[in-house]
Amino acid sequence: MKGKVLSVLRALAFVVVALALCGVVFELAGFSAPLMFQSIADGAFTSPNALMKSLRWAMPLLITACGVLVSFRCGYFNVGAQGQFYLGAIGATVAVEALNGAPPALVVPVAIASGMVGGALWAAWPGFLRIRWGTDEVITTLMGNFLAGLLLVYLTSGPLKDPSGTGQVTASRPVALGYRIATSVGVSPTIIALTLATLVLVWLLVNRTAFGVLSSLAGRNPVMIVWQGAKLSSLGLSAFLVSGALAGLAGAIELLGPNGRLVSGFLPGHGFTAVLIALVAGLSVTGVAVVSMFFGGLAAASLYLPVIAGLPAAAIDVINAAIALFITARTFPLPAALLERLPARRPAP
Amino acid sequence: MQGEEAALACVDVSVRFGAVAALSGVSLAFAPGRIHAVVGQNGAGKTTFARVCAGMVRPTAGELRIGAQPVPVGKVNAARAAGVELVHQSFALPPSFTIAESMEFGATGSGGIFTRRALEARWTGHLKSLGVDTNLRTRIRDLPVETRQAVEIARALVTDAKILILDEPTAVLSPAGVATLFERLRLLSRRGVTIILILHKIREVLDIAETISVLRGGRLIEAAIPVAAIDAARLATAIIGTPSGSIEAADQAALVGGGGGAAPVETARVSAAAPAGPPVFEMAGVDTRPDGEGRALEGASLTIRRGEIVGVAGVEGNGQHTLVRALAGLAGLDRGSICLGGTDVTAHALAQRRAAGLRIIPFDRNSEGLSLTSALWENWSARRLLLGRLLSPIAPSRLRNACHASLKEWDVRFADTGQPAGSLSGGNAQKVILAREIDADASLVIAAQPTRGLDIGATAFVWQALRASRDRGCGVLLISSDLDELFDIADRVVVMLSGRIAAEFSAPYNLAAVGAAMTGAPQ
Repeated sequence: MKGKVLSVLRALAFVVVALALCGVVFELAGFSAPLMFQSIADGAFTSPNALMKSLRWAMPLLITACGVLVSFRCGYFNVGAQGQFYLGAIGATVAVEALNGAPPALVVPVAIASGMVGGALWAAWPGFLRIRWGTDEVITTLMGNFLAGLLLVYLTSGPLKDPSGTGQVTASRPVALGYRIATSVGVSPTIIALTLATLVLVWLLVNRTAFGVLSSLAGRNPVMIVWQGAKLSSLGLSAFLVSGALAGLAGAIELLGPNGRLVSGFLPGHGFTAVLIALVAGLSVTGVAVVSMFFGGLAAASLYLPVIAGLPAAAIDVINAAIALFITARTFPLPAALLERLPARRPAP
Repeated sequence: MQGEEAALACVDVSVRFGAVAALSGVSLAFAPGRIHAVVGQNGAGKTTFARVCAGMVRPTAGELRIGAQPVPVGKVNAARAAGVELVHQSFALPPSFTIAESMEFGATGSGGIFTRRALEARWTGHLKSLGVDTNLRTRIRDLPVETRQAVEIARALVTDAKILILDEPTAVLSPAGVATLFERLRLLSRRGVTIILILHKIREVLDIAETISVLRGGRLIEAAIPVAAIDAARLATAIIGTPSGSIEAADQAALVGGGGGAAPVETARVSAAAPAGPPVFEMAGVDTRPDGEGRALEGASLTIRRGEIVGVAGVEGNGQHTLVRALAGLAGLDRGSICLGGTDVTAHALAQRRAAGLRIIPFDRNSEGLSLTSALWENWSARRLLLGRLLSPIAPSRLRNACHASLKEWDVRFADTGQPAGSLSGGNAQKVILAREIDADASLVIAAQPTRGLDIGATAFVWQALRASRDRGCGVLLISSDLDELFDIADRVVVMLSGRIAAEFSAPYNLAAVGAAMTGAPQ
């Protein structure tokens, strides 16, 4: 446990270094770094309602990141959370459209379940390709993201198009107020409950079930676990499905909650931020909870940056990218990985 | 060495890997044109010594001299230029190269454009002179192990090497292959090449070497003494160290490969009631589908009874890996059947076979046996957890306690059940696997090269564990390339050749007969 805390702290140290680096870059570009940090702190924590806004962004991220964590721990680099998230929103929309008029007590659970199924299906085919033919899941899930994005464009400008819509972006009809689980503020008891439930269940899955231990072994050494009699296919496919279902859940929550309608190309960075969160958290569930709050804060702050520091909101993307760079450098320290193997590889003299 | 310039001399060489001293203060000189042996048990520093001589390992202290000239240490090119070549224990030629290409690969001063035919013309003579008479177009991976080694030696000699170092060259060979190798080495020695052999079997050392040096725990125990001045018993003591009362005489002989030639090995401790038990395992006429992971089985049949240890001998690459994979249900079967405890398990997955009492100590403990970056308790619990359902709840603290108790019982040296398995030494890692695989419910234990790379204490421990399993009524299948090991602990030895069980022997074993069966020579 101590080791885990230490590794999360180390990851956060890298985040601080990345932020400092961004500060230097922005300073050189003629912006004020102190003002930037202040506006991030304001936007994330200190301004009125800042915590509420941070939470609004943190909760869906937490859910998706929990899913990413499950597949990463099992050794599958499912980077398709973005597409699975979209499919979740699409699934929920389809359910809402199909059941329009039915009581909310029926529609909301069905829409959420439909979103989870949508996300799971979008993770299932790369999972199947990987397990059946060894197709690299990084490629297929990444392609899946593009496909899902295009599917979203097609649906919002075709079958699910809001006929009365006049906006610049295409969107579906708004979800009826009775089916919404939150206003555009995005924090409601239902969403908090769903988030907490996800957190607890994934923690239990990872730390208190045979699946948790076995999938972690499979992630670190699939050969060994096969010699123990495990079926990699079922372990891996379950990991993909759980991972996709959780991203889908986040998509359904965004749709029934703060978004209220399917908008073409909404939240384009959600899945990638979730991948980042899982990595910064060192694939620990408690770590994901903490780190999600941090990234939720960054997302909330992106609205403050233009106002206070005069920086474009895209500066947050730059910051996220810098963090990603440092985290990948930390997660795959090649020399260290080689050193770790040395005692094993070194033949007996 | 008086009056004679040493071909190769190490002066006060020490090598440290982190906190481990692999060699401490070794000073050795080898006279030119003779055959020298450097012996010691696993972990004694033999391979490190060979690598220092070949410039592959930079010693922390000490120097290297070739002739009268000091050679820069830790530089392969410098050592090569001075005429030192090393033939590795695990062969190093690119498997996809043809013989001719791999010769060219090792040669200096070549380069540019060439044709296949020109290459073959260039190297035919060289290979013929070394007694390698094979089509030069054959790819390295398709060669039988003896030829492959011969090609490795030929590759080492393309640059007119003065000193040839061979690291454990006999480990992969059949007895007949060893004889051929030794002939070849004597021929080279007569041509003036100085040969340094890293070996660990006393029988082989006494057979070929002119001088013997012994390493133990990184220290030089005996320095290049003439073979006439030492006998097997003294050599065994030098290698093992303590005149060990803890290890029985027959085991000790097996450990150092001291069993004399073709003489029958003492077999007193082989179980007397061996063939009495009912069969725990029956394999009949098994053909496996070729899958590119080793030679397929072709009509392999084998029966193991309760309470017996069946040894599998054979030159590596004759289907031993596939045999274990077939027993584990990890190789596709074309034909034949496999029964475990009277039940036909041919169609069963490994999980079901394990539930029926199958236990496996796999060939490669670092990849097939353990997940090195995972915690000990996770490694240890894997087998148990797989018996239940995926979503069944677990209590990590209880598993860790159980793991702690079990590892203590198996005498594993560890600090905490949360430490990664990769932090253990080879012997301790193997004991973790034993602790996981050998339990009261085991009915058939498959041990694939369970002692490879282990020191003498750990090897004796593994043997004890296998014997205890047998005495409890388990069937044990021991696959080993070490005939001394098989003869010492197996109740029966079968020989694998070309994917089938080619012959069967029972104690007392005849080394010559088993060796002949390994190469398929008519007996």
